[in-house]
Amino acid sequence: MPNLNINGRSMSVDAANDTPLLWAIREQLQMTGTKFGCGAGLCGACTVHVNGEAVRSCQTALSDVVGKKITTIEGLSAKGDHPLQKAWIAEQVPQCGYCQSGQIMQAAALLSKNSNPTKEEVVEHMDGNLCRCMTYSRIQKAIMRAASEMRTASTATERRAT
Amino acid sequence: MNTHVKNATGEPADLSRRSFLVGSAAAGLALGYSAVPGLLGNDHALAATGNFDPSVWYSIAPDGIVTVTCGKADMGQHIASTMAQIISEELGSSWKDMRVQLASNDPKYNDPVLGAQITGGSWSTMMNFDAMSRAGAAGRIALTEAAAAAMGVPAGELVVRESTISHPKSKKSMTFAEIVKSGKITKTFTPDELKAIALKPADQYTMIGVSVPQLDIPSKTNGTAKYGIDVMLPGMVYGRVVTPPVRFGATVKSVDDSEAKKVKGFIKAVTLDDKTATTTGWVVAVADTYANARKAADALKITYDGGPNAKLSSESLLTEAKRLQALDDSGLFFVKQGDTAAAFGTAAKVMEAEYTTNINIHAPLEPMNATAQLQGDIWHMYSGNQFATRSGAIAAGAAGVDPKFVVMHQMWLGGGFGRRLDADMMVPAVQAAKAVGKPVKVIYSRENDMTMDFSRPLTFQKVKAGLDGDGKLIALNHDVVSAWPTKRWGIPDFLTPSVDKKGGLDGFTVNGADFFYTVPNHNVRAILNEMAHNATPSGQLRSVAPGWTFWAVESMVDELAHAVGKDPAQYRIDMLDGAGANAGGAQRLRNTLLAAMGMAGYGTKQLPKGEGMGVACVSSQERATASWTACVAHVAVAPSGEVKVKKLTVATDVGTQVHPDNIRAQVEGAALWGLSLAMYEKATLKDGGIEQTNFDSYTPLRMSQMPEVAVNVIANGEKATGVGEPAVTVIAPALGNAIFNACGARVRALPITAESVKAAMSKA
Repeated sequence: MPNLNINGRSMSVDAANDTPLLWAIREQLQMTGTKFGCGAGLCGACTVHVNGEAVRSCQTALSDVVGKKITTIEGLSAKGDHPLQKAWIAEQVPQCGYCQSGQIMQAAALLSKNSNPTKEEVVEHMDGNLCRCMTYSRIQKAIMRAASEMRTASTATERRAT
Repeated sequence: MNTHVKNATGEPADLSRRSFLVGSAAAGLALGYSAVPGLLGNDHALAATGNFDPSVWYSIAPDGIVTVTCGKADMGQHIASTMAQIISEELGSSWKDMRVQLASNDPKYNDPVLGAQITGGSWSTMMNFDAMSRAGAAGRIALTEAAAAAMGVPAGELVVRESTISHPKSKKSMTFAEIVKSGKITKTFTPDELKAIALKPADQYTMIGVSVPQLDIPSKTNGTAKYGIDVMLPGMVYGRVVTPPVRFGATVKSVDDSEAKKVKGFIKAVTLDDKTATTTGWVVAVADTYANARKAADALKITYDGGPNAKLSSESLLTEAKRLQALDDSGLFFVKQGDTAAAFGTAAKVMEAEYTTNINIHAPLEPMNATAQLQGDIWHMYSGNQFATRSGAIAAGAAGVDPKFVVMHQMWLGGGFGRRLDADMMVPAVQAAKAVGKPVKVIYSRENDMTMDFSRPLTFQKVKAGLDGDGKLIALNHDVVSAWPTKRWGIPDFLTPSVDKKGGLDGFTVNGADFFYTVPNHNVRAILNEMAHNATPSGQLRSVAPGWTFWAVESMVDELAHAVGKDPAQYRIDMLDGAGANAGGAQRLRNTLLAAMGMAGYGTKQLPKGEGMGVACVSSQERATASWTACVAHVAVAPSGEVKVKKLTVATDVGTQVHPDNIRAQVEGAALWGLSLAMYEKATLKDGGIEQTNFDSYTPLRMSQMPEVAVNVIANGEKATGVGEPAVTVIAPALGNAIFNACGARVRALPITAESVKAAMSKA
C-alpha cells in the first residue's frame, strides 16, 4: 500500500504499485480535477507536478512517485488563486474546461522556472496539451498575463525587502 | 431549423407544462425525481421551502440567490450562463446573485420550441431567448407587485435594479431577498398572460450585450467542475468496455475470462445484449477499480464473428457512393427549382466537379462514460449528454423498462461537438450495473472512444453547373451521397419530406446546399449510402451537413468564377441579389462577405509569389437558422505543396449579441475546428474498423499549428442566432480557394494534404 506525498499531505493509497498515478488520484483519493484523456501521454489532460516537474500521471506508476512531492490542480494554490488560475478567469479561457486543469499545471511548471517566457517558449512548452475546444489563443494570453503578474509581484517583494 | 423537428418526442409541445408554478416543482415526483442521498451532481431538487419559483427555469432563495436550471447541455458554449443572463436581463437581478444548475430529463425542462431535451444545431440561444426573457419578466412583475403591497405604493412607481426594488419618491426599497423572505408573493401567470408580457426593447438592455463573467468558468480552473467521469456513488464499481475490431455488425462468439479472473478486483465480464441496436459485439469488464477493470479487459480472450461489414474500407464506401450517384433514380430531392435538364441544354458552358470528405471523429477530450444506478424501480443515469430525451429511452431499452423509470442526471460535458447526442454509453453502464447488482461507472478508453465514434460520415458530392454566355450560373445539379446520421435515430419527425413528397430524407446531410445565391434552375439530391450507413454509423459532428455541402458549393462557385475570368468575391456578390425567397438573407450574407474582405484587405495589395487569399461565405447552419458567415483565408504554399495558413479573417452576422466575448470565443474555436478538419483530421476504415485509435494517429490541431484568427461580429439588431458551428463550415472552402489563388492547385478532397496540393499543382 504505497504512501504518497500529495498536495502537502501524506496519504496512503489502497492500490497496486503499477497502478497509474492518475487513477489513484481520481479514484482512491477522489480528487477528480486531474482528468483522463488518452491514457497514452498524448493529450496532457492528466498533467500533475512531481517534484515541481509537469508529468503525465496516466504514464506514471505509483511506485515511481513514492517519496516524491506530488501536486495536483487541487493543491496548486490554497484558494484557487494562483496567478495562472486568476489569469484563466480574467481571460475567460475555458470552454468545456476538461483539459484546463492539465493546461494550468503544464503552464505552472513553465512559469516556476521562467517568469518571462517568449511566445515561442510558451508554444513549445504547451504543444503537448490538446484543447479540443481550441482555446489556444486565450491560453497563451492567460500565461502571459500570469507571468506579468508574477514578475510584478516578485519586483514588489524585492522592493519591500530592500 | 426544419419546422418538422418541433415534435421530436412525438408529443406536441405543450405550453401548459411550462405554466408558472409558485412554490411547487412537484411535477417530476411521479417519475421518481426525488433527491438522491449523497448525490454529487448538480441536479438537486429545487422546490426548497421558502423559495420563490416563478418558473421551472429558476428559483429565488430567501437569501436572494437566483438559481437557474438549464435544460440545455453545456459543453463549453456556456449556455447555462447565457440562459441566466437572458433571465437576469428581464428579472432585474444582480449578476453576482446568479447561479446555474443542470436539469434532469423531467419533460418540464424540455426546450420550449423543440419539445424535447436536445442540444445542437446552434439553436439554443435563438430558441430559448423568448421563453427565458418571459420567465425573467414574470418574476420581476411578481416581485414588484409584492413589493408594492408591502410598501403601500403603486407598482408602477417602482424601479427594479440589481436585485433591489425601490420607490424613488418615498426612498423606500426592498431587496429580492427581503421580498422572498416575506412569503407574500402571490402572482401567478397563465400561458396567455406570459405571452402578453411586454418585453424590454433592445435599447433598454443592461445585461444583453454585456460580457459578464461566465458562471461556470471558476469551477473549470480549480478542478471542482463535475463532469460525468467524475461521478462517485457509494458502492460503485468500474467498467471498461472491450469493443470488437469491426465498427458495427460484429457479434461475440465466446468470452474466456480465465486470465481475467486472476486480476485482483475483477468482478465479471458482461456481454451486452443490446436490443436498441446501438452497439454490437461489446463486452464490459467490471472490477473494483478502473485500473483493475483495464487489466481485466486486456486479459479477456474474446472471439468474434466480424459480421457483414468486416471487409469494408473507406475505398469501398467511396466506390459505392460513386455508383449510387451515377444512377438516375437515386435519392430524394431536397431542392428542385426550375428545370436544370433544359437549362443545361441551352448553357454556353457546363462544368462538373467531384468533392469528397473523409471520416472524421469527434474525440471530445472527456472520453465517453456513464454511471448507472438502480434504486428501487428507478434507473439513475449520470452522464453529460446532449439528448436526454432519447438517451433516457435508450437506457430504458437497455434495462428493459419503460422510459419513465429512467432519471438522467446531467453533468458538465467535457466536450460535446455532437458526440454526446448519442446514447451508446448508456447501454454498457445499465447492463453491467444490472449484471453485478451495483452502481457501475463505465469509462471508454480513448481507443474505444475513437474506434466506436458516431463519426462524421465519408461524403461524396458531384456538382454540375451550367453557365450562360455572360458566365452567369443558370443551372446547378448537386448530389450529396453519405450515411444519414439522423435517420439512424429512428425518429421520423427528424426527417425532411422530399420536395416531391416521395419520402423522408435526412436534411442533416444536405443543409446548406439550399443556399442564398440566385440560381434559376437548381436541384439538390440527398442520396443515402446504405453501405456506409451500416458500416460506419454516423453522427452529428459540429456543423454537420454544412461542413461538407459548403465545401462543395463554395469551391465550385470559385471554380466557376475563375473559369469565366471574374473575381470570385464579386461573382458571389452578383449572385447574392436577394431575389424572391432569398430576400434579406442574401443581402446579409453579402454584407458579411464585404466585412470580411474589408478586414482582410482582400484585393488591396499584391501578395508575394506563392501566397493567396481565398473567400467563402455560408448561411450555416440551416436556411431558417443561419448566422451569416464569411471568411478570407490567407495562405502561403511551398513548392512541396506544404500549406502555411497565415491568417483566417472571419465575419459573422449574429443579429443580436447576448455575450460578445463568448461569441468571439465560439467563433474562434469553430474556425479552428474548421481548419483542423480541413487540414489535420482524417480517419479511415479498413477491414470494417476505424484505423485511428488515439491522438498519435488522429491529430486535431495543436497550439503550434494555430494561425492568426481575426473575428468580426456583426450585430444589426435582428434576432439572436447561433455561433457554435457556422464558422466551422466556411474555413475549408476559403482555404481551398486561397490555395488555388496562391499556386493554381485546385483541391477537392478533405483533408487537404501537402501531397494532394502538390498533385493538383502538376495539373494546373
